[in-house]
Amino acid sequence: MHILATEGLTKRFPTVTAVDQLTVTVGPGVTGLVGANGAGKSTLIKMLLGLLPPTAGAARVLDMDATTRGAEIRRLVGYMPEHDCLPPDVSATELVVHLARISGLPRTAARERAADVLRHVGLAEERYRAIGGYSTGMKQRVKLAQALVHDPKLVFLDEPTNGLDPRGRDEMLTLIRRIGTEFGISVLVTSHLLGELERVCDHVIVIDAGRLLRSSAIGEFTQVTRTVTVEVDEGTDALAQRLAATGQRVTPHGRMLLVEVQGPGTYDAIRDAAADLDLALIRLEQGRHRIEDVFREEAASV
Amino acid sequence: MSEIYDIGYRHYDGPRLGAGHAARALTVHSLRGVFGLGRTARSKIMPFALGVVMLLPAVVSIALMALAKQRGIPYSGFAVMMQAVVAIFLASQAPTVVAPDLRHRVLPLYLSRPITVGQYVTAKVCAMTAAVFLIIAVPLVLMFVGELLVDLDEPLPTKEFAGSLVMALVLSLLLSAFGLAIASFTPRRGLGVASVIAVYLLTWAAVPILYATFQSTGDESGAAWAWLLNPFWLVDSVQSWLFGTPPHSIEGEYPSGPASALILVVLIAAALAALALRYRKAAAR
Repeated sequence: MHILATEGLTKRFPTVTAVDQLTVTVGPGVTGLVGANGAGKSTLIKMLLGLLPPTAGAARVLDMDATTRGAEIRRLVGYMPEHDCLPPDVSATELVVHLARISGLPRTAARERAADVLRHVGLAEERYRAIGGYSTGMKQRVKLAQALVHDPKLVFLDEPTNGLDPRGRDEMLTLIRRIGTEFGISVLVTSHLLGELERVCDHVIVIDAGRLLRSSAIGEFTQVTRTVTVEVDEGTDALAQRLAATGQRVTPHGRMLLVEVQGPGTYDAIRDAAADLDLALIRLEQGRHRIEDVFREEAASV
Repeated sequence: MSEIYDIGYRHYDGPRLGAGHAARALTVHSLRGVFGLGRTARSKIMPFALGVVMLLPAVVSIALMALAKQRGIPYSGFAVMMQAVVAIFLASQAPTVVAPDLRHRVLPLYLSRPITVGQYVTAKVCAMTAAVFLIIAVPLVLMFVGELLVDLDEPLPTKEFAGSLVMALVLSLLLSAFGLAIASFTPRRGLGVASVIAVYLLTWAAVPILYATFQSTGDESGAAWAWLLNPFWLVDSVQSWLFGTPPHSIEGEYPSGPASALILVVLIAAALAALALRYRKAAAR
């Protein structure tokens, strides 16, 4: 089942093509949309919300056409914009209750949902104070709360970790993971930082200059490579020589050695070599691709 | 001993109402905002102080009716007489309706919901119109209730009262459409206040100058048109045509009624069109 699907989706502005022939499908769970600033992420979200008509192609969200059934889509979808969007003179509670009603919730339901959702994003007593006095982290939580208040089927989170300190970033990412799993709401989250999406996404879509670079499950991005990283306390050179002598292919990588895995025998060879040389083996780790590496490779090959 | 249970995330399976409900909620929210309800105490001072100032003449008028057995202010002339206060109310409160959403870019939070730009603008205009109408109509109703209780010997001017209410609504729409349009082009609130009051002062000051100029050249009929430059006298001239009330201009008659009505309709349409264009641009951002 697809949460959203685009087919040759294109948006041209007078001076720039923001989204170019994008064909992609997104399933349930947490999906990362990765691209540098100006890659077309925000334009794509606006088209998916039915707020911006595409120049060409089509988009379906929750099995509804974005150009013709935008209002219906917007009733079941939440949106957290990238930029500041909060009025300073009202409290978080008042704003979120009000926006819940704009989403179509009756008054009492809006109040209950707002209280629930503000608790889930971690705003306690401060939710009764005017938003003008909030920290960036608290403002991001309010922005997230308003996107969730009407219990959407899908939320678009545009750069939710923007401007947060490392701890705030961690908390936001944990929250996003919970939204996708515990809350059962599908998430499309954009970021220009690839590493942070690795932790929370099931699937990652990489776009650059409005074009699709890659779309695949997170496992494929971080798949196991055929190398093993070896780190010893000292005697790295001796170990490298001994391993090379037994027919292993070794490349030094700083203080560590990358050994190509030819079979189960490779592990035995490393163990035996370390034992024979009486070395203190600190680390033996399977090499993994990180999203950054993939992005770099993809970008280089295009 | 009490324990707090984390009941986890609860889904919402109640009704999801349409855009009409959303537009009504926005209207009420904006109307509350005009009077500072649900905001800080400081934002209540201005609207309520002006509301009290508007009530004073009504109270004096009732006292006059009770003690001297004669009418104070005619219903039809109330808005024109109190125009400075109404204009200050419009200038101080119109920016609070539109400016924060534009300046702090709250608009995307609305537009990513079922409500459309058109419904958003309509709700804002309705809210401001209702606010200005309340400011003018509450004293009028108070005066009328006072007259009912005092029971003057003269017949009740029910038609004039009803007419004044209708024209108060028309005036509120005209003022709100213009006030919001001007305020929406100046998203900084202080600037919005200043520009609305500047436009009003211009229409207010230009009238006597033009009137005197035309009169000195002996063009009496041309001079009469000068009154229509000011929104309050423009609406009064339509009232005078529709309900046969005496003109409340400072001196002289109004030109033809139908022409005034036409100008009124064109002005309201122009202001609404300007608002629509402004928001179409804001929504595209």
